[in-house]
Amino acid sequence: MEEKKLYVSSGPHIRGKESVSSLMLSVLLALLPALLAGVYLFGLRALWVVLVSVGSCELFEWGWCALTHRQNTLRDLSAAVTGLLLGLSLSPTVPLWLPPVGAFFAIVVVKQLYGGLGKNFLNPALAGRCFLFAWAPLMSSWVAPRCADAVSAATPLAVMKTLSLPPESLLSSFLGFKGGCIGEVSAAALLLGAAFLLLRGVIRLRIPLSYLLTVAVLTFLFPRGNERILWMSHQLLSGGLLLGAFFMATDYVTSPTTARGQLLYGVFCGVLTVLIRYFGSYPEGVSFSILIMNLLVWTLDRLHMRRVFGHGKEART
Amino acid sequence: MKLGRIFREGLVKNNPVLSLLLGLCSTMAVTTSLFNGLGMGLSVTVILCCCNVCISLLRRLIPDSVRIAVYVVIIAGFVTVVDLLLQALLPALSESLGVFIPLIVVNCIIIGRAEAFASRASVPEAFADGLSQGLGYTAVLVIMSVVRELLGSGTFGAGVFNGGAGWQLFPEEYACSYLILPFGGFLTLGCLIALVQHLRTRRSSPESREEGGAC
Amino acid sequence: MLSRIVSVSLSAILAENFIFSRFLGICPFVGVAGCRDTAVGMGLAVTFVMSLASAVCWWVDRLLTALGLAYLQTLAFILVIASLVQFVEMFLRKNIPSLYRSLGIYLPLITTNCAVLGAVLLNAQEGSGFFESVFFGAAAGLGFLLAITLFAEVRERLDYSAECPKCFEGTPISLITAALIALAFMGFRGMKIL
Repeated sequence: MEEKKLYVSSGPHIRGKESVSSLMLSVLLALLPALLAGVYLFGLRALWVVLVSVGSCELFEWGWCALTHRQNTLRDLSAAVTGLLLGLSLSPTVPLWLPPVGAFFAIVVVKQLYGGLGKNFLNPALAGRCFLFAWAPLMSSWVAPRCADAVSAATPLAVMKTLSLPPESLLSSFLGFKGGCIGEVSAAALLLGAAFLLLRGVIRLRIPLSYLLTVAVLTFLFPRGNERILWMSHQLLSGGLLLGAFFMATDYVTSPTTARGQLLYGVFCGVLTVLIRYFGSYPEGVSFSILIMNLLVWTLDRLHMRRVFGHGKEART
Repeated sequence: MKLGRIFREGLVKNNPVLSLLLGLCSTMAVTTSLFNGLGMGLSVTVILCCCNVCISLLRRLIPDSVRIAVYVVIIAGFVTVVDLLLQALLPALSESLGVFIPLIVVNCIIIGRAEAFASRASVPEAFADGLSQGLGYTAVLVIMSVVRELLGSGTFGAGVFNGGAGWQLFPEEYACSYLILPFGGFLTLGCLIALVQHLRTRRSSPESREEGGAC
Repeated sequence: MLSRIVSVSLSAILAENFIFSRFLGICPFVGVAGCRDTAVGMGLAVTFVMSLASAVCWWVDRLLTALGLAYLQTLAFILVIASLVQFVEMFLRKNIPSLYRSLGIYLPLITTNCAVLGAVLLNAQEGSGFFESVFFGAAAGLGFLLAITLFAEVRERLDYSAECPKCFEGTPISLITAALIALAFMGFRGMKIL
């Protein structure tokens, strides 16, 4: 008679078809339009920067796993996503030794020291990028798009820091014809990727929408100059806002899981972004504000955790 | 007698920063260059020796109930003396250490040693303890400043060697300027302590573990 | 006046946070922030003593300068802080026992918290006015409270999840966590409201 085995395992017992690697693959695919736009606008040099970044992230991930005798985690593709996000948020002019430095910080210090994917409390790609701001002059030299001889150009945000509207038209800004980071310039490409992720159900609209709406409302209410709508639109389209809101603030590991927590998270991200853009010493505040909110994820989640019936107040903590 | 052991303890086993986590503020704040680190380390060593000797001499006279207040006054006195001496003799050092010289008063290493050791030890022992703890502190400061100065501004020994200019080992634009900020202080100290823990667990054979339980 | 106070306070809380930008008060920051409630208690106690010490030491500084004894600043300030802490402790124990129960155990530790002496010394160095000093002290204390609470929150989360390598367990990983929080706070650097 056939012996029936009874498997006992801990929860969760209901599993979907999605796995970490398939989610990560979707994110990689969704970032492809932004990468292509960046390469089209800034030339092959941009591709090299991104490739070096992805390659070094993979290398450090593999190296760490080999060093600590852990199972190789390259196949979950999270290192590739980190590398791609890091590469896309760099200027196309950075020297090629810079991405590996950021990759080392992102993969080894921010992620693996805490035990790998799912244990880190900061978004690795963002932390890597913020670490690279230590080389500020290298990080903030920009070039004009579609220029063969690398004419240096100011980003719209740097122009707006001086309280004037950028020279680009809204349409060219939307399509990406402006100075900036490789993957951040083309709002059209980013929105295409974001739509793909939303349709596939990889990300939900709560965080990006509350984030973008907050920035929109604040910049509309407090414009610098007379053209409210134009100012607001440029603030929304420039810098890393779209990349950050759709691809970085929505990172599963470092964003809240409760619905109200997510809404609050987005709103606070927006407030901090506008605060840093208006009053800070950096022209762009998206990376730092998401990092700061990463610190509060645990708090936001706890605030809105459902209380277990029958338990006292203690059950919330 | 056991002076040798006191020395070994202060420098390695009971190192004030690495094992006891005392005096972290100054450890992180001043280790941006070898010049600052060395200056701070030696100032603390001098003050620590003087305070230890002084408290050991007076240990039978100080009433138990107000001992902490007396220690604080003694420490603050010596700190003021060193502060004024530095202002007169080494104004450059005094300027770059700034508020952290008077803050030696609240450096937990000094009051900690006064309470834990000097108040119940003979004068030579207290002196040896002060010297070894001070040198242990200085050693950590020197290691951290060399690392942070090298990676953070690309120089080695600016203000100390080569007629005060130090050596620019690589151009400053390649240096990671964040390492000079608190971020770099936390990171460097974390890595240093991790290294020490690693070396300790590697060396810890059964007999050294027994020894560790004794202190 | 009001805008000046707001700007001084905001800069002391965020941009010039004592822990993440001025290297002050790190010992209790690393030592105490094991759990959230302790951290909040410590932070509140520090804020309280810091604002009080800023106010008292401003007058003491005036007095010393008038007497030509400015070189005794450090000695005088630390004595003022130590006795203030003692006094606050006695006052709370007698009059507000509930507050004493929640803050009392942290009070003796504050004497050797370099953030308090640091705030007072910085005030004296800057030569700021009375109200400015008090607000600076209070804001710096709030900044300390913010930093230590954030740190405790993150550490609490990491206690559940993190699996760091053996040699990084304990203090090193907390220090690296503090470094990462400091990195995030770098966004506030140079922030000027006005």
